[in-house]
Amino acid sequence: MDARILLVEDDPSIREVTAIGLGSAGFAVTTAVDGVEGLERFRADPFDLILLDIMLPRLDGYEVTRQIRRTSTVPVVMLTARGDTMDVVVGLEAGADDYVRKPFDLPELIARIRAALRRAGTTADDVEELRIGNLVIDVAGRSVTRDGADVPLTRTEFDLLEELVRHAGQVLSRDVLLDRVWGYDYLGDSRLVDVAIQRLRSKVETDSTNPELIQTVRGAGYKAVR
Amino acid sequence: MIRGVRARLTATIVFLVVLTATVLGLASYVFVDARLHQQTLDEARDQARFDLSVLAPQILGEQPTPASFAELTAAFHFRTLKSIIVPVGGLPISDPSSLQGTLDSIPTSVRQFVDGGQIAYSWQTVDGVPSLIVGGRAGGTGPEIYLIHDVSALQQALDQLRLALGVGALILAIVAVVAARLVARGVLAPVDEASRAAERIAGGDLSARVPVTSTDEFGQWAARFNRMADSLEDTILRLEAAQTQNRRFVADVAHELRTPVAALVAEASVLGAHLDALPFEARRTGELVVHDIGRLRFLVEDLMELSRFDAAGEEVRLQAIDLGRLIRDVAAARLRDAVLELPDDRVVVETDPRRLERIVGNLLDNAREHAPGALVVVRLRSTVDEVRIAVLDRGPGVPPDRLGRIFERFFMADPSRRGGSGLGLAIAAEHAALLGGRLRARNRDEGGLEIELVLPVTQPLPDGDAAAISRGDAENR
Repeated sequence: MDARILLVEDDPSIREVTAIGLGSAGFAVTTAVDGVEGLERFRADPFDLILLDIMLPRLDGYEVTRQIRRTSTVPVVMLTARGDTMDVVVGLEAGADDYVRKPFDLPELIARIRAALRRAGTTADDVEELRIGNLVIDVAGRSVTRDGADVPLTRTEFDLLEELVRHAGQVLSRDVLLDRVWGYDYLGDSRLVDVAIQRLRSKVETDSTNPELIQTVRGAGYKAVR
Repeated sequence: MIRGVRARLTATIVFLVVLTATVLGLASYVFVDARLHQQTLDEARDQARFDLSVLAPQILGEQPTPASFAELTAAFHFRTLKSIIVPVGGLPISDPSSLQGTLDSIPTSVRQFVDGGQIAYSWQTVDGVPSLIVGGRAGGTGPEIYLIHDVSALQQALDQLRLALGVGALILAIVAVVAARLVARGVLAPVDEASRAAERIAGGDLSARVPVTSTDEFGQWAARFNRMADSLEDTILRLEAAQTQNRRFVADVAHELRTPVAALVAEASVLGAHLDALPFEARRTGELVVHDIGRLRFLVEDLMELSRFDAAGEEVRLQAIDLGRLIRDVAAARLRDAVLELPDDRVVVETDPRRLERIVGNLLDNAREHAPGALVVVRLRSTVDEVRIAVLDRGPGVPPDRLGRIFERFFMADPSRRGGSGLGLAIAAEHAALLGGRLRARNRDEGGLEIELVLPVTQPLPDGDAAAISRGDAENR
């Protein structure tokens, strides 16, 4: 089945040509012209990925992301313009998984979308369980439980946790994490990693200001405790 | 210069004061000296007249005897006068006897006058005591009598006067120096004020003014200085406002172009994927559209980047970076044929990798456009306190008079050449400045242009374990 993408973009030309480009790349694209309509579409139908402009009339992309995150772990990729006063960090903190700078080439956008979908769709065949602290990570079921209680993670957060726990005790640099989790082969934005780590800690650590499971190694990267 | 004027003014005043004091002191000394000597001499002469014409003849009588000489000597001695008596045709009688040789020291002219029956005198030192010798013959024809007056008191008084005048002159000179300096400072204060104000203006404080405290020449001059500063400030502020407006306009234009350009880029990428399906003319036109949209995109992105520098909202994100690796990565992406001259040892500095990539990338783009197809060399060198990344090409270089302008916006060394936005080097220079470094360009002796980035290495690496961190990074790759 083709991946279903919700494209929320207010500029008609960009919206139309992006829909055409994604359509010819094999995606099923639904479009919305502003944040409010975007949320309505998101609630009406299931999507595999949300492509979200930041500067939207009525309801901006940050707020749309926050609302989506209340009920869903669907991958959200932001479309941001260079020079926007609001930083992408705000979007990442709201729960977005990745971002693409405007202007973008369609092949570039498609590559980012595929990377996000690949992460979201990863299903291990073998039944495997990873443990860290009092967390149990069900790799196949893509779920995390603490003492039997479900810990809701977005797909990016889950992948990040899985990557760190699989290499527990080893320091993984931001570049390595960008490569393995986000699929950037050359110099992505290290803030993606920092913000995702911060969100992940707020969910899995007992005290996120004093992290015990995922530690920062100054100047080098992050590591999960063994 | 002001220091010189002050010194000259001080010296002139001190010279005049000291000259006046010296002339006055000398004149009064000479006057007092002459008066005192004259007075002493007058008294001694009057006394001598009496002694010679009345006292001596009375004691000596017609036929002086040794006893009468002794009586006369005793009479003089009683008045604390030393005396030498030379009887006619006899040996001199001295009182005290230590004056034995003194007779020879009396000038011959005096002896001759005395011999002729006149009264004569001489100022001279006798037995180490300043003295006045008055001589004459008793009764005009009798024995020669020389009376020796002790004038050391006179000499002491004159010595004291000299000392007093000297000390007075010295004190006056010191007072003159201090006063002259104060006067000079007072006179030159407005010049100092103006000098300080001019310095502040030169340092960028356009509001600096000179206080107008008087209506004299200095006051008028200060007022004119202030009028000049007013007009300077006005002009500069207007120029700055115009430049700000100009830059804001460019920023606004770039901002407004952003969305349509984003649409065009997306459209071009879709169009580009379907060019093969078009008939030839449409296909060629389509290719040109895609190409030109690409150029438009980079121009607008460069303008946006420069506008952000102007808005001064740029943050620098430092991390430990292996420069050799960064250069290899950028060269691989921008100019594969570039020859890299990297040191054997790793060069790790704390810097913002994105900005450094932009700089090196733009320098490589520039070299490629400047000298298409020619050999380009990227050279990395490091010293204790700085690293240098140079990009060398084999192009035509830049005329020396235009070399200083190549980091200006929209500057093209060769305006007829197309390609580039003319903003790449300006952007690189802005990034370099943000990293605390600078770019410099020179024509190479062997032909071609060399642009070098000089980055200071002042940032201590975190915890001093930079090498360990870099190794860890490398293993992770």
